[in-house]
Amino acid sequence: MGMTAVHARSSRSVLGIAGEPIERWRSILEHASQITASTDLVGRLVATAFFEDSTRTRTSFTIAAGRLGATVVDLSVGSSSANKGESIVDTARTLAAMGVEALVVRSALAGLPGVIAQELPELVVINAGDGRHEHPTQALGDALTIAEATDCPSFDLSNRRVAIIGDVGASRVARSNVALLTGLGASVVCAGPPTLVPRTLEGLGCEVCWSMDDAIDGADIVMMLRIQFERQTAGQRAIASRRAYRSAFGMTEERAHRLEEHVLIMHPGPTNRGLEIDPSVADGPRSLIKQQVTNGVRARMAVLAACLSG
Amino acid sequence: MNLLIRQARVLNPASNFDQVADIAIQNGRIAAIGAGLSPTEADQIVDADGLIACPGLIDPHVHLREPGQVAKEEIASGTRAAVAGGFTTVCCMPNTNPALDSPEMIEWALMKSKQSARCRVFPVAAATVGRAGEQITEIDLLSAAGAVAISDDGDVVENPRMMKHILQACHHAGLAFMQHCQESSLTVGAVMHDGAVSARLGLVGWPREAEEIIIERDIRLNRTVGCRYHVQHLSSGGSVEIIRRAKADGQFVSAEASPHHLTLTDEFCAGLDGQGYNTSGKMNPPLREQSDIDAIIAGVVDGTIEVLATDHAPHTAEEKGQPFETAPFGIIGLESALGIYAQALVEPGHIDWPHLIAMLTINPARLCNLDRASRKNDGLGEIFVGGAADITLIDPNLEWTFSMNDVAGKSHNSPFFGRSLRGRAVATIVHGKPQFTLNDLAASAAH
Repeated sequence: MGMTAVHARSSRSVLGIAGEPIERWRSILEHASQITASTDLVGRLVATAFFEDSTRTRTSFTIAAGRLGATVVDLSVGSSSANKGESIVDTARTLAAMGVEALVVRSALAGLPGVIAQELPELVVINAGDGRHEHPTQALGDALTIAEATDCPSFDLSNRRVAIIGDVGASRVARSNVALLTGLGASVVCAGPPTLVPRTLEGLGCEVCWSMDDAIDGADIVMMLRIQFERQTAGQRAIASRRAYRSAFGMTEERAHRLEEHVLIMHPGPTNRGLEIDPSVADGPRSLIKQQVTNGVRARMAVLAACLSG
Repeated sequence: MNLLIRQARVLNPASNFDQVADIAIQNGRIAAIGAGLSPTEADQIVDADGLIACPGLIDPHVHLREPGQVAKEEIASGTRAAVAGGFTTVCCMPNTNPALDSPEMIEWALMKSKQSARCRVFPVAAATVGRAGEQITEIDLLSAAGAVAISDDGDVVENPRMMKHILQACHHAGLAFMQHCQESSLTVGAVMHDGAVSARLGLVGWPREAEEIIIERDIRLNRTVGCRYHVQHLSSGGSVEIIRRAKADGQFVSAEASPHHLTLTDEFCAGLDGQGYNTSGKMNPPLREQSDIDAIIAGVVDGTIEVLATDHAPHTAEEKGQPFETAPFGIIGLESALGIYAQALVEPGHIDWPHLIAMLTINPARLCNLDRASRKNDGLGEIFVGGAADITLIDPNLEWTFSMNDVAGKSHNSPFFGRSLRGRAVATIVHGKPQFTLNDLAASAAH
């Protein structure tokens, strides 16, 4: 391991949206919007290493790689002992020696993909979610969804306003989305209780507000986040009760009715139905949840194609 | 070996002495101080023209990791680091494994230091058994065994009733109590300062209040006790103001600042490109913001903070190479400290060399009962005829770049590599013996 462990970016890895030129993401989005199944990556080896449970993201990557003809190896080890940096780097080194070119990593630890990328510059590392930090491919799928649903074919979102509601402080989806959507020109407001949405999030380039009703007023897209009970430390619950939270920050049927007609609703899933979003809204006509899942695969195809090309 | 240090700028803050003079050292003690001393037969002459000769530097807060964590550091290597930085005395914290929480463990640490240390080592003993916060240690007996202060450093004493008991016991034993100020309910899962950078990196933030409310609480508890209460490694500007007010109010409170809290902000944790994770910026308490640095420096200038301490905390490369959230807190500091202090405090003109040297000698000596008032002729932190010949020679104008090669201890977890510094210890004399010299010490022997 490096003595000082300064985890800088490698050029091909996808570690996070923030800090990268927006052109990189715009070109991936443009490719994603027209990508189709191909044999472009036949004979290429991609491995997924999920040190935190996730079925949907891993499956999405596996399908994306498969549609391009790549071979996918899965070494998911949901155990916490494997979350130690050193052993993971050793594992990655072994995989690289076996011919794996791209490693898709999910971890509960912020920055873990960067540790691997720093130690193994020859390996393309794709961050599939690291702690509370970033989930870049989720944001790429979401931006594709927003652009298509609100008719912005060139990914210029400068007239769009997005409200992100809920557990923003603990959300890697929110961090990646704020960076990407503001980079594409959208204005973003984050709202939730102060225990979950600290003022310091303004530094990400979004507005911060502690009233959901204020935040959704004037928004074109309302993105609901899952309350991440697993990231709330023991004995330190950040909400008084589920019903109190739902009343203040839930996308209830009643709130959805009050939205202007064109406003669309998103959720990265999995949903806590009846808590942050009512089932009738999640399955209703304003919901983009299904498109998000579909577009997640397209975005991941474009990311893999970009990372493994050349 | 007898030494004659010639033509040094002798700085002895305890007596406000600041003159060019010679110092004669015989049999480990100061034999004479004055102009134009003549060498004796056995003298090795040190031409110290342009150098500062001051009492050996004292660091009241280091982690030597022995027993129990010798892969990080041990007494031999940690004191090698100390003398390389100009320190002739270190006070080691009790968070070893097992903890220094009994008279037997204090005796063991002193015995082990006698065998392997390159400088003087004085143990700070734990306040509670196993540092677990549940049972008070035998503070009178710890003092008799040689402990020079009491602290559960690494952990706060959480329970207010226990805290008051400890303050009373320290007062009875005449020892200072050193608090690691951290209200732990506010720092669950926290790994860096609570601010814009932690929000950006997705790391749980550690608010300033976690430090400040413990200081407020303890000062209140100590009001009717009157123990010497010492705040370790303060990080928040608000803490400085609390201590300033308490001192004005006549309370017995002191505080120390560390090199990293004088020079680095939370941005350092984000690495060079601002989006990475730099574990050499991870410490407890965390690096904060420029306004905190400014307040801490102001506290140094007006005397609110009278002691400097490195909190030298070695960790292995494997440990610090982990992701930010699981990597341990702490950095090494002994080898680079003097250059960093000079850069942060003297170069910009905040304080002068005599003030800096006082913060590194007589002030920590008094804090830990190592001064002449407590130890008579064995008093440390000042230069006096008949006293122990612990002398540090400093070249205040030496320009150097701190690098891995300058590290004398076992671990290399420093945020300061590559930093250009001015001012460095060129010789560290402990009890009359040079334990570190940057170059050949003697210009020439007599004759």
